[in-house]
Amino acid sequence: MNNTLDIGLPGLLAMYVMLLAPLAIMAFFIRGLVKKTVVSIVRMSVQLTLVGIYLRYIFEFNNAYVNIAWVLVMIVVASVNVLGTGGLNRKLLLSRTVLGIGLSTLIVLSVFILAGVRPEPLYDARYMIPLGGMVLGNCMRGNVISLERFFSGIRDNRKEYMSSLFMGATIREACRPWLRKALSSALTPTVSTMATMGIVSLPGMMTGQILGGSNPLTAIKYQIAIMIAIFVAVSLGAWLNLNLCMRSGFDERGMLRRDILR
Amino acid sequence: MQYAIEFNSASVIDGPTVLLKNITFSVPHGGKALITGPTGSGKSSVLLALMGAYPVVNGTVYYDGTPVTSETVSILRKSIGYIAQEPVLGEGTVREGLLMPFTFRANRSRAPSETAIHDAFDRLQLPRALLDRDISLVSGGEKQRIAIARTLLLGKNVFVVDEITSALDEASNSVVLDLFTQSRATVLAVSHHPRWSERFDMRIKMERGAVTTVTDSRKDGNEQYA
Repeated sequence: MNNTLDIGLPGLLAMYVMLLAPLAIMAFFIRGLVKKTVVSIVRMSVQLTLVGIYLRYIFEFNNAYVNIAWVLVMIVVASVNVLGTGGLNRKLLLSRTVLGIGLSTLIVLSVFILAGVRPEPLYDARYMIPLGGMVLGNCMRGNVISLERFFSGIRDNRKEYMSSLFMGATIREACRPWLRKALSSALTPTVSTMATMGIVSLPGMMTGQILGGSNPLTAIKYQIAIMIAIFVAVSLGAWLNLNLCMRSGFDERGMLRRDILR
Repeated sequence: MQYAIEFNSASVIDGPTVLLKNITFSVPHGGKALITGPTGSGKSSVLLALMGAYPVVNGTVYYDGTPVTSETVSILRKSIGYIAQEPVLGEGTVREGLLMPFTFRANRSRAPSETAIHDAFDRLQLPRALLDRDISLVSGGEKQRIAIARTLLLGKNVFVVDEITSALDEASNSVVLDLFTQSRATVLAVSHHPRWSERFDMRIKMERGAVTTVTDSRKDGNEQYA
């Protein structure tokens, strides 16, 4: 199965050289983004290199505890990232976000591995870690959108929110319109991705498997399974997190805390 | 004596900003009190402080004899009819906006009949045909009156209202003014309109976050200085 052509160092360098084009465009039009982009590219390269090295050992070692610990680390890092990117108060929300993202990811990943793939051993790193990463990555994006939209929606529509509260609504009732909007903006990207999948783009997982020499029919089954897993994890995660985090965003009088958003 | 609304040397903050300093006044049950003063003098903040939007850092604000605290605020909000200057009716048709607060558990049992809705609209001289119009197509003055109708339908007996006739013509202003001054309800209002000042028994004058004078015409114009 290991018949993927390796990319040589000069080849990879050629890819990096290509980056000069977007950077040049940015330098002219959105100078502020250049530094951020360079940092992101460096981070991506360093992180992936480290993970590549790390994963080699993890795959060789293939220990249940190490694999599970790695997934847990990914969950915590994803949660920190959600709050950082969304500009949300880490101190107030981190434990809840870890719980929300963790629960949704672990439920989905368990079904995927225990009922879907059934590798031997069940904790096989080759399945648990990449699948966990894909589910988690999407879950993270969904949660950034939903939490940020929710709290900034209430902040920007303070009068509307207070009006409901002053008419006898509970915090949850007064939040309903923004809960709805937050959830829908988290789910819409995944819903539209599913609708165009296979026509507009050959999805990442499938491409990877085909490059790796898999039968396209097996690749498709994996792709369907991962899309369902992602959709379930994103919706479950966004819903859980909104419910878990909602209460911490307001003070005892039901007013949105000023320090919830940076 | 137990008042419907009482501010007892209350100071109120919003984050680092002091909104109200040492406010003292009281409104008896059924009393009609009007807060006046220049823009930025803290009139709306008094109303919002009563609604529990801000923490009271000194003194006490009482509603019906109970201090307004984080524990009591949700009960109080269920019994006060608060109307903002720019009322929020939500999205959809006027009827949907009118019925929105009745989807909250606290108000569910009070959902009004069609007759009650028509009656409220008639009292505010709003055409019934408005009920099926989209909220976005309704004028500012109509919105204010729809919000008043909605608050009437919620069946409160204390009203806290903030410049609710600012977008109304003289005739509509009189209708709203009659409605509040002739009712048995306790009313705490902010208004710049001279007619309101004539018709309310109590006038609370404010400046820079503090009360300067309180006048009660039922006490023969006897002025109490705060």
